[in-house]
Amino acid sequence: MANVTERNNVHVRGAGDRAMVFAHGFGCDQNMWRFVAPAFERDFRTVLFDHVGAGGSDLSAYDWGKYSTLSGYADDVVEIGAELGLKDCVFVGHSVSSMIGLLAARQAPGMFGKLVLVGPSARYIDDEGYIGGFSAKQIDELLALLDSNHMGWSTQMAPMIMGNPDRPELGQELTNSFCRTDPDIAKAFARVTFTSDNRKDLAQVSVPVLVLQCKEDIIASQEVGAFVARNIPDGRMIVLNATGHCPNLSAPDQVIAAMRAFVS
Amino acid sequence: MSTFGPDFEDMVNNAPCGYVTLHANGRIAHANPTLLAWSGHAADQIVGERFSDLLTMPGRIYYETHIAPLLRMQGFFNEFAIDLVTAAGEPLHMIANANERRDADGKLLLIRLALIKATDRRRYEQELLAGRKSAIAAERATQKVLLLEHETSELREQFIAVLGHDLRNPLASISAGARLLGRTVQSEKEHQIVAMMQTTVMRMAAMIDNVLDFARGRLGGGITLDYDARGPLEPVLAQVIDELRLASPGRVIESEFAIDRPVNCDRVRIGQLLSNLLGNAVTHGAADKPITVHAETQNGLFELWVANAGEAIPQTVMDKLFEPFFRGKARASKQGLGLGLYIASQIAKAHGGALTVASTPAETRFSFSMPLA
Repeated sequence: MANVTERNNVHVRGAGDRAMVFAHGFGCDQNMWRFVAPAFERDFRTVLFDHVGAGGSDLSAYDWGKYSTLSGYADDVVEIGAELGLKDCVFVGHSVSSMIGLLAARQAPGMFGKLVLVGPSARYIDDEGYIGGFSAKQIDELLALLDSNHMGWSTQMAPMIMGNPDRPELGQELTNSFCRTDPDIAKAFARVTFTSDNRKDLAQVSVPVLVLQCKEDIIASQEVGAFVARNIPDGRMIVLNATGHCPNLSAPDQVIAAMRAFVS
Repeated sequence: MSTFGPDFEDMVNNAPCGYVTLHANGRIAHANPTLLAWSGHAADQIVGERFSDLLTMPGRIYYETHIAPLLRMQGFFNEFAIDLVTAAGEPLHMIANANERRDADGKLLLIRLALIKATDRRRYEQELLAGRKSAIAAERATQKVLLLEHETSELREQFIAVLGHDLRNPLASISAGARLLGRTVQSEKEHQIVAMMQTTVMRMAAMIDNVLDFARGRLGGGITLDYDARGPLEPVLAQVIDELRLASPGRVIESEFAIDRPVNCDRVRIGQLLSNLLGNAVTHGAADKPITVHAETQNGLFELWVANAGEAIPQTVMDKLFEPFFRGKARASKQGLGLGLYIASQIAKAHGGALTVASTPAETRFSFSMPLA
């Protein structure tokens, strides 16, 4: 097996007995947590990583079969946890990583004591008696758009950050490092993200779960978040006074406050 | 605006691109008339609405999962494709840049977007993508065919090489047997039969040599030469002529030699070249006319030619004479593999020389010429 730390570009920071694992969603990488994770470094060992195919992960480790289901990604999370000897830690998953966290928690009992799910959805495509927010046709169109969008256009990812005069704190070393994704892998990740159905997995979660939900989120609406919280035995939801799908970026203070209350 | 005056205000309002500003919550604060005209929306219809609501559904997902987060992290995001939906429900393909306005604490105040129409560009991109896809598919298909072709031809040529090799041994036995018989036979008739056997053995040995050379050449080895200027060439040529005379009773083969300096060549190969040319002359030349072999060193060249009488070679055939497996008209029993002239020309080339042909109703002459130095 490849070195897990390199494969998933794992970064461990902070102090404390418990660990907090941050998992990014579709569309970005561990940079998604840059306004949230540092707030927990005093009390937690923070673990950040990139899913294989995203950010600074080892692209050569990408396996088209393994990563065609979310459980392939969950296996990686469990491997990272095993490598670091994690027990009773907090898993924080954004978007599709919420469901990856559920699967990982079930697969490795005792590894994760609490789950924080940011903008989760158990299924994105509408079904009988269930509103996910998207039709199957719309998801197909998304996959077509990913083909044509500039972000995933060039085989060599174009430099996306040419310098950052407004945000010197981000530092030069991060230049070009945000949210890099191989275009074909991005498409495959979009497919597995938006075609997954994890509704049946919700009832099997045995640990306390906090759902953090934005007021207005077209990717995962309040109803979708409420469905997740309601169907997890020990689930609760906090609706943030924020819009969009990434409160970890648009309202980090609220996210941090809600998480603190949940994990303390 | 006042700093720039009315012209600049005009520029913002009537720019050949769309300008949109968004509040921190992603709702539209302002849109310039150009964008309104393109989208077909009235200002009061869209101000206060979520910008992402103006997008196609996949565009919305892309905006929320890629553009908005990157914008928040970087403060800007350039050159992204984005599709609006017009009031009429038509997609409006655009390309956009965006950046953020923040207060002193870094709090997001406003998002600025500049959009230009990219309908043709999008079409061009789609064509490029489709072109790349089909090029990749075509290349894969070609590679597959090439690989198969390569394997097949390698197998075929290996088969030829092995076959040629294995044929030599039994032929050597037959030749030795015929030689033994030749010592003891009594009648004229028996002598003739043994001579015929030797002729056939020789013809077949030559064919096998040619086949092996051909296969070796095709397998990448080429015709290798063993240059040696010291030994005399004339006896080698004379021996080839004697063998052919022996094998072709009743045929007259005349020879003229004027080799007065050493020829730096592979003598065995030059012998093979002559043997192939003579074999060709015996097969195709007029049976009742002599064949002439001429070899000389002159003007820095070694020249060797074989001439025979008989029908002229038609022009259409001339072009193909030196191609492998080309066979002219001949009685079936005399028919070879069509490799003799090809191998002869390869030997000529390997020596830095050339093999040419001239054919008239009076005479057909194959001439080999190579530089002495």
